[in-house]
Amino acid sequence: MWTFESMLSGSAAWLDASGPRSDVILSTRVRLARNVEGVPFPTRAGEDDLRAVRDRIRRAAAGSNYLANALVIDMEEASAAIREVLIERHLASHGFARDDAGRAVVVGEKEIVSAMVNEEDHLRLQCIRSGLQPVDAWRLVDRIDREMDRNLHYAYSSDWGYLTACPTNVGTGVRVSVLAHLTALSRRKRIAQVLRSVSKLGLSVRGYYGEGSAALGGFFQISNQTTLGQSEEDISYTVERVASRIVGLELEAREELTRREGDRLADQIHRAYGVLANARLVGSDECMRLSSMLRLGASLGLIERPDLATANRLLVATQPGHLRYAHGGDPAPEERDRMRADLVRRELTAGD
Amino acid sequence: MCESCRRRPATVQYAEVVDGEMTTYNLCDECARERGVAMSFAPFAGPLVSILMSLLEEAGERDEAERQGPVCPGCGLSYSEFRRSGRLGCAECYKSFADELRPLIRRIHGSTRHVGTAPDSLAEDAGSREEMRRLKSDLDDAVRREEYERAAELRDRIRDLERGLAARGGADVDV
Repeated sequence: MWTFESMLSGSAAWLDASGPRSDVILSTRVRLARNVEGVPFPTRAGEDDLRAVRDRIRRAAAGSNYLANALVIDMEEASAAIREVLIERHLASHGFARDDAGRAVVVGEKEIVSAMVNEEDHLRLQCIRSGLQPVDAWRLVDRIDREMDRNLHYAYSSDWGYLTACPTNVGTGVRVSVLAHLTALSRRKRIAQVLRSVSKLGLSVRGYYGEGSAALGGFFQISNQTTLGQSEEDISYTVERVASRIVGLELEAREELTRREGDRLADQIHRAYGVLANARLVGSDECMRLSSMLRLGASLGLIERPDLATANRLLVATQPGHLRYAHGGDPAPEERDRMRADLVRRELTAGD
Repeated sequence: MCESCRRRPATVQYAEVVDGEMTTYNLCDECARERGVAMSFAPFAGPLVSILMSLLEEAGERDEAERQGPVCPGCGLSYSEFRRSGRLGCAECYKSFADELRPLIRRIHGSTRHVGTAPDSLAEDAGSREEMRRLKSDLDDAVRREEYERAAELRDRIRDLERGLAARGGADVDV
């Protein structure tokens, strides 16, 4: 039985580091923006319309192959902690996680396929896969999209494609994005140049770089910018191609880092392990920074534990909303830091 | 100097590269960390909204005189309201504001024609239309090159396709 509790006690499939290029690319996400024909878009629709759309989407999901057993979380009833958990698991956006009428999150098993209902558009259907696999993720989400359309009938125009609340999504309504761990590249000045050249290829990038950016994990999001005039496959291929190139550059940077300052790097990584395996209070940014180091260590084979999947899991499970939910109340900052430290120690020393 | 607290030296850059425009914010470690985790690990940031808003502002300066602009009969949204919010109200808005939206959409996407999947019910027609466009351009080529046999063959295929589309009739919706 797939429940909120089983979702939390297990781990999302996209974190398991089984996908191609998982050493650099954490995950690939493909989302589709869709609206139901004949109903105003969420910002212009009344509460009754929104609830009716939610119920139709719920029925369409129940009647589909892929989302038949999906978990449906009604945002009107969800606690603040549950909303935070959904954001941290990439199942809801920040702006979405309020208790507006008719809003719901639909989560398929292992969090591979999920949907936001009545965000900016009636339906934001997404598929998240481990590693770099835009084309596969697109094909999967496309199959589910077709199943849903049979019952929902999307707003579509032969000229402009799928009609969305914001004209920046019109056409395919597809956003393909990869979450890249560019931890070695972001220590180099060249990162700015890399980012600029990505943008010349029609993609957008966001993330932190520079001296202190190791402190922030070095995670970058790369995604397509336009949704009209190119097929979904072409968009997916473009993201895949550009991301592969970036993976190449990151791996080169890692190699160079190992060659030039291997001892220092190994020391930093082992120190990160030492702190996380022993500390009794760990703050959220410290945790992000050190987990990022462990992730690098795991992918370079510099440490035996944790493996990539465990490092990925830590990045999500140690965020404030998850700890708040586990606590059941509203833990004071120090209590949260203690919970985080306990969780990390348990994960790192499991099997000892 | 950190652009957020304006006290500590900046050590980190946050970069957003959209549409060839790189925006960087110089921050100190502390301020970066405060915003840090959420921003660097957030998958939902909509990359284009800021571009859209600046394009809308530009357009707004041009036709300020028109004030409210057209109103969509489907949902009652006025074009000026759209210009403020950047969000359309319903599918019909695309028809109601077609003249205003076309140049805007071209500037955002570099295109005004959808290429890609269609709902299954329409896919067959969309495929036919795509093929039709290709056949017609092939036909033009054939005529230009005076390859009349090939042109006749192409004309027959176009006629067949037209019959198929006409037979399905109702699916030919243009919003």
